[in-house]
Amino acid sequence: MSIPSGITTAADVGGDVRLECGAVIVGSGAGGATMAAELAEAGVDVVVIEEGGYHPTGSFTAESARALRTLYRDGGGGLTVGRPWVMFAEGRCVGGSTVVNGGMSWRTPVQVLDRWSAQEGVRAITEQDMEPYFARAEARHSVGLQDPETIGRDSELLKAGAAAKGWSLVPNRRNQLHCAGTNNCLSGCPTGAKRSMLVTSVPHALALGARLFADCRVERVTRDRGAATGVTGYFVRPGGGRGPRLTVRAAAVIVAGGAIQTPALLARSGLRSASGQLGRNLSLHPNANVTAFFDSDVTGWHGVHQAFQIREFMAEGLILTADNLPPPMLAAVMPAYGRELGELMADYNRVVTAGPLVTDSGAGRVRNIPGLGTQVFYRLADAVAARLVRGVELTAEALFAAGARRVLLPFDGAPAVRSPGELRDLLARPVPKRSIQVYSIHLMGTARMSEGPRRGVTDSYGAFHGVPGLVVADASLFPGPTGINPMETVIALAMRNAQRLIEQRDRYGI
Amino acid sequence: MTAGPTITPLSARVRRVTRRFAEVVCPPGMRAHHRTDRVLAEFELMLGALAPTARKALGMAFVALDQGARLYPRSRGRRFTRLDDQAAEAYIRALLTRRGLVARVVQRLKGFVVMCYYELPTVQREIGYDPAPYIAAVSRRRLESYGPEIRAGEAAVTSVKVRPDQSRRGGEQMSKGGEQLGGGGE
Repeated sequence: MSIPSGITTAADVGGDVRLECGAVIVGSGAGGATMAAELAEAGVDVVVIEEGGYHPTGSFTAESARALRTLYRDGGGGLTVGRPWVMFAEGRCVGGSTVVNGGMSWRTPVQVLDRWSAQEGVRAITEQDMEPYFARAEARHSVGLQDPETIGRDSELLKAGAAAKGWSLVPNRRNQLHCAGTNNCLSGCPTGAKRSMLVTSVPHALALGARLFADCRVERVTRDRGAATGVTGYFVRPGGGRGPRLTVRAAAVIVAGGAIQTPALLARSGLRSASGQLGRNLSLHPNANVTAFFDSDVTGWHGVHQAFQIREFMAEGLILTADNLPPPMLAAVMPAYGRELGELMADYNRVVTAGPLVTDSGAGRVRNIPGLGTQVFYRLADAVAARLVRGVELTAEALFAAGARRVLLPFDGAPAVRSPGELRDLLARPVPKRSIQVYSIHLMGTARMSEGPRRGVTDSYGAFHGVPGLVVADASLFPGPTGINPMETVIALAMRNAQRLIEQRDRYGI
Repeated sequence: MTAGPTITPLSARVRRVTRRFAEVVCPPGMRAHHRTDRVLAEFELMLGALAPTARKALGMAFVALDQGARLYPRSRGRRFTRLDDQAAEAYIRALLTRRGLVARVVQRLKGFVVMCYYELPTVQREIGYDPAPYIAAVSRRRLESYGPEIRAGEAAVTSVKVRPDQSRRGGEQMSKGGEQLGGGGE
């Protein structure tokens, strides 16, 4: 497979590279690629640096371990420090996490935008202010509902369960151009129907002259007299070794590495926020998976996962959905091993996995620890743990209502439950927080926007307080959790903040 | 396209423990069908994708698991790799049924190893999971049903121009020690 013009990978580079440009963007995910496309459209000379590799649509298969190795940071095996551990995954490839996420595209809830405005004084963030950016994001990424023939039976069962319980449910909105329903979202969409950054904003920016350097790790943001002046880094050789150096001088430095890597890079560069909030306020929408066994065939991998969301409990901070896991991932989280695991997995095609997405309270922190690198600390608050347990219970209830015969809960040592009555009896006793198997794919809030430099890391438009020329453009900016899939918020904010940069291009020198 | 991570060979010691651990935590089909080496090969590939600290921690965890068996009453002072099947299984069960850090670590090791087992295509087919033909079929159906709309949508991505009112660009490329290659489209 050839590499598109404008992309340079480590294999293409024989010696150190020095560049100068208008804007250098660190990261090519939802925030970075959107910034690149917007700025390139405005005629800015853009260089994008991506730590991960370039993996085109044609290389995506259903081999989930291969995907974990090539498309995710650290094989998708991030772990927070704290009790319980939270497993988290970050995309690391051209296109970032949008290549490996489920593709849910929802506008930021109005009450969340209002809260950000009220609590942090964030400007121009009302529903009306954001409307044109949401509309533009949805147009670029073909956001819409699934074609009915692509919906999997696992999602239909969750829908039936919700209907039996009388709970409200909505069809999921995705960035997809007639999704085929391959159910391969987490390993890269093999048809390109998922309109990730890899197939939208990245080629859009490249077509306008942007240059993208893949396999390149940025070590530092450089500064001169307090202002950001570029970045330095190195190309990563296969196996992780250091290759040639890359030095970029730029009028504007835009950091979009995600809510873990962005604060880590900024702190590594010696940048401090007067607010003391850089790296703090991490929210991660904790998830936990319920595994339900049915008598009849489900074959949940026939058709797209998460076709619906149960919204009945959204006011409580809970969204429930069915998220079919491929066999390697399901086996990894099953509370069994050996012969018993083999017996459970033999029923793979009768399984529905589902779970809650929980609004949390920003209790995490990202820190660089000498000798250990970037570490993520997260304390599951009691109220959030209780919400997570309730979400698990509600999910299990819906699955029983849909006809599940047996349900495995994500609590260490919990026996399988075979009826709603058993479920109630089991959960009548408190579930120890440390026993909950928690994971996350939504990481937010570690460089929050606030008009007050003593409260936030950036201003209302992502400009780092006190460091001219430095802008943040990812979910780090969120002053709190969105309570909903965050990708569209990241894209819309990047569009809005790019517009601001363009309006102030004389000030930035781009 | 970027090359994938390279294989990170296990040390002989860690390999022995991992092999024995896999024999206990993977379904019996692994040994019965001589799949252990393929599971270990997957495991080594996966190891290459981990952060160096995680890789080191994983190796240390396996060594600790091996030596920790000496403290387990039924092992009579033997290491995990020296235990017979029954004792090895009982040891792992004892670790997994504890609450706290040790159980969590062993669960994680188990998750890692069984993930490699269920990545094997033969194992996937045995449980009725064979996605490649399905993906091919629905991909065809998609193009047959919506081909023109899809092609138009894809073409729109790159048929863009710099906004007419925006012409200024930033700095030019300074110098480049390495060669930059460019090819065709994806």
